[in-house]
Amino acid sequence: MSNDISISKGIIEQLIDGKIDDDNLERLLKLPKKDSSRFFNYIEVLQGRVKWKDKILLRLSDKLYIVSQAAGKRITKCECGHEFGDYRSNWKLQSKVRVRKTAEEMKAVYDPKPAVPEAGWQEIREYFCPSCATQHAVEVVPPGYPIVMEMLPDLDKFYSDYLGKPLADAASDWYQDKTSGTTSNWG
Amino acid sequence: MATIEKEVLNQPNMKAIKAPTLAEAVEKRDRLTESTGNYYGVKELSLKKADPIRYERFYSKLHSAVLAARESARFVAASPGSREMGECLWGITTAEGDTLALSLGFLSHTAIFPTAVRYMAANNYDVNDGIEDGDVYGVSDGLTGGVPHPGDFYSFVPIVIEEEVVAWAVGINHLMENGAPVAGSWATFSVDTFMDGLVVPPMRTGRKLQQESWWKAIWERRTRAATMNILDDKMRLAGCAMIHEATHKLIDEFGIDYYKTAIREVIEESRRRVLDNMKSTMVPGTYTGAAFRMAQYKGLQTIWSHADKNTLIHIRASVEPNENGLKIDTEGTSRWGHHAYNATPGASDAAVFLGMINSFSHNTKVTAGIELAVQRHYPKGSILNPDNEFTSNANPWAQTVTLNNIGFGAVSRAMFSFGYLEEAFCVDGNWGAWQGQGTAEDGTAYGFTNFEWLGGSSRGAWCFKDGEPLVWAAWSQMATIGDAEEFESTVPPMFYLGRKLLPGYFGAGKYRGGPGESAVHWCVEPGQHIGITRPNGGLSSTTSVALGMNGAYPGPSSFMISARGTNLDEVNAKGLAPRDAREMLEMTDSGLLKVDDLKVWKTDCPELSMEHNDLFVDAAGSSGGWGDPLDRDPMAVIEDLDSGTCPDYDFVNEMHGVVATKNGSGNWVLDTSATEAKRIVLRQGRLDESVDVKDWWKAEREIVQNAAFFPEVGLMYNESLSFDKFRDEFTSFWNLPREFNVLEG
Repeated sequence: MSNDISISKGIIEQLIDGKIDDDNLERLLKLPKKDSSRFFNYIEVLQGRVKWKDKILLRLSDKLYIVSQAAGKRITKCECGHEFGDYRSNWKLQSKVRVRKTAEEMKAVYDPKPAVPEAGWQEIREYFCPSCATQHAVEVVPPGYPIVMEMLPDLDKFYSDYLGKPLADAASDWYQDKTSGTTSNWG
Repeated sequence: MATIEKEVLNQPNMKAIKAPTLAEAVEKRDRLTESTGNYYGVKELSLKKADPIRYERFYSKLHSAVLAARESARFVAASPGSREMGECLWGITTAEGDTLALSLGFLSHTAIFPTAVRYMAANNYDVNDGIEDGDVYGVSDGLTGGVPHPGDFYSFVPIVIEEEVVAWAVGINHLMENGAPVAGSWATFSVDTFMDGLVVPPMRTGRKLQQESWWKAIWERRTRAATMNILDDKMRLAGCAMIHEATHKLIDEFGIDYYKTAIREVIEESRRRVLDNMKSTMVPGTYTGAAFRMAQYKGLQTIWSHADKNTLIHIRASVEPNENGLKIDTEGTSRWGHHAYNATPGASDAAVFLGMINSFSHNTKVTAGIELAVQRHYPKGSILNPDNEFTSNANPWAQTVTLNNIGFGAVSRAMFSFGYLEEAFCVDGNWGAWQGQGTAEDGTAYGFTNFEWLGGSSRGAWCFKDGEPLVWAAWSQMATIGDAEEFESTVPPMFYLGRKLLPGYFGAGKYRGGPGESAVHWCVEPGQHIGITRPNGGLSSTTSVALGMNGAYPGPSSFMISARGTNLDEVNAKGLAPRDAREMLEMTDSGLLKVDDLKVWKTDCPELSMEHNDLFVDAAGSSGGWGDPLDRDPMAVIEDLDSGTCPDYDFVNEMHGVVATKNGSGNWVLDTSATEAKRIVLRQGRLDESVDVKDWWKAEREIVQNAAFFPEVGLMYNESLSFDKFRDEFTSFWNLPREFNVLEG
């Protein structure tokens, strides 16, 4: 029996849509080793669902993707088509934010009342897509806390070393955090 | 038990052989591992290759020995915490303390085994005092033994062949009481290690698989639950004796040379599998997470003046997969303080490896191999690695569990991006417990811990379905909250009026977290006295972690309510009683339940003396959601309303934009078109009520520059800014001079 198995795209679709049944879920969870073809099958399914043509390099969150555009551009893009710019600068900087600072404001998202974070020690930041208003991220942090870049992938290492299929525009200087380059121009 | 009474199988000085000392063994192990990158220099799995059946049979015997130890010993003699809830673990290690096999149970404690062994090696226990076959060592110290908190107690039994230590049998369990000024097993309001209870650096307490007589006196005189602790002590040793016997038989069967080669290969084999697992499921890069815990001491602990202050603890970590596994860097995490929440590197490891073992050792032998694949950086001086040897380590789990959430959460994010959605969920660990001491009417004094919300909390939302209640205990494979009756007999005056899931108590999202739990504890005829405190993983005025998953809200904080001086008899006479925190608050708000002294606690409480008909209500174990709440299937919201999982229509109407009405049967009916319209309005509201981050940044930067924070927040920043990595991140983000410091407001 081969160690490597293949999971159908139908099962991947069910996972994405939250419609997978318990038996199939259990089978996936009990795989002795994950199916190595999953990533490209996953990307193919995702690519077939978005309305734009840019090539998906990685799914960052439910509706956020890192995509490849012409001329070696790699940007973060919303499912709706909104572009957040170079993926190496935290996409949150190009979003809209609503901040809940008071107990009354926080009470709208936490229940019951004693479970509401303490105003002053914490604030709730909700990050929205400026076009479709999807809530892409939530932070519950003290005032003044730097916005967190949850994930900065090393795409070239991933594609070349982990997947064995280097990207066409691979370069040694892709992998760097450019967030501070954005804020340094703000003030 | 026979294995305790019998003569040990090997006595020292049988042959005049110069065996390596423990220190020499550790030095050789480190030299070979570091110089080759392979465990103990093992390049070929020669035994496995030559005869895989024999090799696996060898390992199965080791593994079955530790499994049998757990499944037998805890039913021989044990407290309810170990017997009922399985708050225990057995393992076998190499001479150097590297894990070879583990039982079910407290799996991540494996990472700590080398700490105690290396301390004994470095301090020449074997050279000065001698270590003989079947000796018994007790350990509960974080600094020298790696123990997460002294409420956990370890027994080490060396297995010696011809004067050489070749293995250690190890047994662990969570004590029911460990003798600190604040009774229980997590000494709240502790200020330094001298207030942590029975703290034992590696210490020989027995010989020939039998404890010394004086050791029993220690439990009787230095803890408040001697009977249970002595039972647990016998349990740990009984299990170790079984492992001891099985290991000698194994070596007799396979030969010492095979044994020594095989144990190195076993660890190297699992290290390689772990690396392969990491590379086949992780996306390389940098994952960053954070969490916060408020330690409120100001005004609650006034005896020790230097500790009469509040601390906002900041846990920050990055996870970076690399060619040698992955690196967890905690630089930027708060400095240690005069409070109960300091960890040690061992305690930090115990947390980190919860997620690492669960994620990467599931299909291989659980050995020290995984420890070689995870590089950890706990900066000296931080709360995870204090540069003061007397810090309290009474309750590091309150904050280190968030370190696990960050590391485990990074694995979830990676697997989501990789397409392994079946593994992606919001990692939480919002545990709770309560503890205390009492004196019965007849003068009998006792101490106790109730582990229930430690044994099982809810799992956070998956990326494809809601989280489940009660199934999650990252520290054990088997979540269980234990039997209420066991705890009622453990704490005689405290009875359960209610014990149930708490409606609405989770992080909202496209998929919601599993609901947390709540219990109402009723004090009945307390005798001369009973006092209760509550340690916790999330009793901190903060969410369990700082970052929600993909647009969802992280799990809410734990809390508790004390109600002293009640008219409960009148309420009961009407056939009513509060069964959870929500019902409790509703009854007091309505005036049905009258309370002289009602307090809601969002951080640790000082000892609460309870009288007849007083109530103590807790809530813990909530977890976070996944995805945008406006993307939640409206019918899932309806189901939650009908089942009572979400009790508040107005809340879900605004959270999920679901419009519904109740029909004549009392069931909710979805208004599809009104829901669509409501969601459009809420989305527009998001855009109208939000600002461009660029504009927010400019305003927030003013707040930072002016230190317009609570003092605790400013102090937290200054502590974290004392570490270069966070200083770079903070000052570059806010475009401030690198020497910037927050003025205390």
